[in-house]
Amino acid sequence: MSNSVTNSNDYLQYLLKSWSAKSASELTGLNQLRASAIDSVGTQKLPNKHDEEWRFTDISPLTRLTYPPSQQQSRLQFSDIDKFCLQNTTNRLVFVDNHYSPDLSNVADSQIQILGNLHSLMSSHASTIESHLGHYAKFDHDIFTALNTAFLHDSALIIVPAKTCITEPIHLLFIASQQEVSSYPRSLVVSGPDSKVTLIEDYVSINQSSYITNTVTEIRLAAHAQVEHIRVQRDSKQAHHLANCAVSLADSSQYQSICVSLGARISRYNLEVQLTGENSNCTIDGLTLISGQQLSDTHTSIDHVKPNCTSRQQHKCIVDGTAHAVFNGKIKVRPQAQQTNSSQSSRNLLLSNTAKVDTKPQLEIFADDVKCAHGATVGQLDSEEIFYLESRGLSKTTARNLLTYAFAADVINRIPVASLKQQLEQIVLNQTQGI
Amino acid sequence: MSAVLQSLVNQPYKHGFVTDIESDVAPKGLNEDTIRLISAKKNEPEWLLSFRLDAYRKWVTMSEPDWQNVHYSKIDYQDISYYSAPKPKNKLASMDEVDPELLRTFEKLGVPMHERAALAGVAVDVIFDSVSVATTYKQKLAEVGIIFCSISEAVHNHPELVKKYLGSVVPVGDNFFAALNSAVFTDGSFCFIPKGVKCPMDLSTYFRINTEGSGQFERTLVIAEEGASVSYLEGCTAPQFDTNQLHAAVVELIALDNANIKYSTVQNWYAGDENGIGGIYNFVTKRGLAKGVNSRISWTQIETGAAITWKYPSCILRGDNSVGEFYSVAVTNNFQQADTGTKMIHIGKNTRSTIISKGISAGHSNSSYRGLVRITPTADGARNYSQCDSMLIGDQCGAHTFPYIQVQNNTAKVEHEASTSKIGEDQLFYLSQRGIGAEEAVSMIINGFCKEVFQQLPMEFAVEATKLLSFKLEGSVG
Repeated sequence: MSNSVTNSNDYLQYLLKSWSAKSASELTGLNQLRASAIDSVGTQKLPNKHDEEWRFTDISPLTRLTYPPSQQQSRLQFSDIDKFCLQNTTNRLVFVDNHYSPDLSNVADSQIQILGNLHSLMSSHASTIESHLGHYAKFDHDIFTALNTAFLHDSALIIVPAKTCITEPIHLLFIASQQEVSSYPRSLVVSGPDSKVTLIEDYVSINQSSYITNTVTEIRLAAHAQVEHIRVQRDSKQAHHLANCAVSLADSSQYQSICVSLGARISRYNLEVQLTGENSNCTIDGLTLISGQQLSDTHTSIDHVKPNCTSRQQHKCIVDGTAHAVFNGKIKVRPQAQQTNSSQSSRNLLLSNTAKVDTKPQLEIFADDVKCAHGATVGQLDSEEIFYLESRGLSKTTARNLLTYAFAADVINRIPVASLKQQLEQIVLNQTQGI
Repeated sequence: MSAVLQSLVNQPYKHGFVTDIESDVAPKGLNEDTIRLISAKKNEPEWLLSFRLDAYRKWVTMSEPDWQNVHYSKIDYQDISYYSAPKPKNKLASMDEVDPELLRTFEKLGVPMHERAALAGVAVDVIFDSVSVATTYKQKLAEVGIIFCSISEAVHNHPELVKKYLGSVVPVGDNFFAALNSAVFTDGSFCFIPKGVKCPMDLSTYFRINTEGSGQFERTLVIAEEGASVSYLEGCTAPQFDTNQLHAAVVELIALDNANIKYSTVQNWYAGDENGIGGIYNFVTKRGLAKGVNSRISWTQIETGAAITWKYPSCILRGDNSVGEFYSVAVTNNFQQADTGTKMIHIGKNTRSTIISKGISAGHSNSSYRGLVRITPTADGARNYSQCDSMLIGDQCGAHTFPYIQVQNNTAKVEHEASTSKIGEDQLFYLSQRGIGAEEAVSMIINGFCKEVFQQLPMEFAVEATKLLSFKLEGSVG
């Protein structure tokens, strides 16, 4: 099925060949977007370790995985995906290998415009889609965004009208069921003024096979909008997961992100938040829990464009086996962004003597009336804490598990959806049990 | 308020005069012949010439680094004179034979060259346009076995030591500027502290660029044998020219078992005028190898001058229990750009490092801290603590932090923290209601901000640094 191509240019050529105009939609705007993305792919190269942004993450193994774009074929039953569904979550969009599955999806809330098939919503909301899709996640400097845009097919589209509060979280479930395919999931969330919504973006797999997921999410918050964005990546341990998420905040809006990264052989998550309105605020929490030979790379960028914004970020990594965690958190404060208040912390726990962490919290500050701070720590479990628990009668293993769990629970506990929190707590418990 | 601070920051550069002294200047341009010429002028042995040529051949294949956060127009390496020496350069028997014009220059700069000026109690090696002109207290140091002389003299008198250590910490092909330096370095200081000797006085090198259109490429080599200890100071100034001058130095420190080297720099190269015209490009490679067990290398730097600073004094902590320290204050004003920081490479067991970096930016300047802490798999029990704080004065400047933390050992403990802020209105208000003028209050706050670093400096330098900082920032607070 896959023939080996060693050169990264050949790899891109191979991908370009598999791109065809047959998925052309009736909307010219969308076709144009796809065509210019494919042109952009032609002018770019796959990044290598000489690129500063990819210094610690070697994605050259990707060039050996010439997986074709996924086709619609699997017929999953509800019983197959039941374990991934969340209790009390009635708004659910399900994509199987990036093909929208209306049978498995369910939308209870009539207030939101929510659809998985781009084409069907396109007719009624063409102007909204054209003015937002591709506007936040730019593809000129990112090959993976360009590829995703070029292969744009079904996508999760959520439009929250002004002054609307969606109480039920929206669960976007992206399921991988085939092996040796590439899929290009895409999501767009446009939340109107004074609206509120909770979004769960969830990547799962039916079996432990090898595949590539290249996903792009765009979120636009209008003035006074509030979005809670929970992202869970629990792909197969053989998968490659490449993700870009671009968020744009208008005046007085609030964005809260919690990202949990558990799966994939190699994963990369780029989160770019632009605070383009005054008094906006964002909170970003991240947890990476990896072991074996996994590599998980998180790059975040918080761009303070306007004055009086605040941002808070915490990223935690727990690394076991010969796994390798990478974190790069950039905070940029532009000259006019006075009165910015920003803090960032990167905390890393190494559980084995072959585990590896590269962390780089980065501040770029061009305004003087600001308060910015960052901190980073790397270490192992505190021997005094272990001793304390042992003195209370816990075995060494239990003490270690408990402390490791507590380290992760700090992030998990921030998840506002109880059912998802329980699921993740269980996963973390299972993972830390083996340690 | 703003005006007071403004005037506080903008004191003119005091050391901008040119000494009218006849110099022997090599024609501009760089090729193998230039290197042979330098080598011949200095009457060097064959091995050193091949060391230089090797470096040159590597340099030709390298390209100028562009990852640093500074911007400048391309340097034309063929438009620089690679050798400039004050002319009457006979062997000097004593300080009395030094050209009086030169002596006056250093008198003006406040460098104690006369042995009579023993008050300062510091042995000085003076480098004028990259040639060592005088070294004081040689005799006294020789009594305890310390060799302190110019590197050219060391090449002739102690070739075995120079040959053994030169390029052992910074290999000739290490980076673009280090390769250039290795090819064309003209002089520098050499210091060797033998086994068990505690150097009785502070050693010091004073660098002065004088000739327009020349580059300064000096090389410093400090070796502390088992149990030895030394404190080394370095100061730099240059005259005011509209053209940019290149300073690409290499400093290598080697500390064997239980040795202790403390290296302090007060860098006050000409920084260019208030419009950013002229100034020195300060592209320096400094690295210390803590080779032996329990050895210690400590870098302290006060960077106030130079149009562009590109400098990362590093420690390679190879010996078990070795210690690396880096204390830095970088002050930038007008259009200065500084990209500076350190690298701490932990290889030995239980190695420890501390990084304290303070950046102050004013005017249109930009300062960046760029640091690397790497814990290799062999560095069991390694420990690092880094703290880098930036202070911004005015809304046209920038402060940046790029800390790289790479850990491959789970018994290591690494901590990093950074903050950026301005001088608080409440702090100023508090001081002014205690009757302290605005200017003094600002100077007090800034000195407090830098205190942890100033404490590391030898006393005379600390006084100088505090003074330097106060004029540097004169007028920029408000």
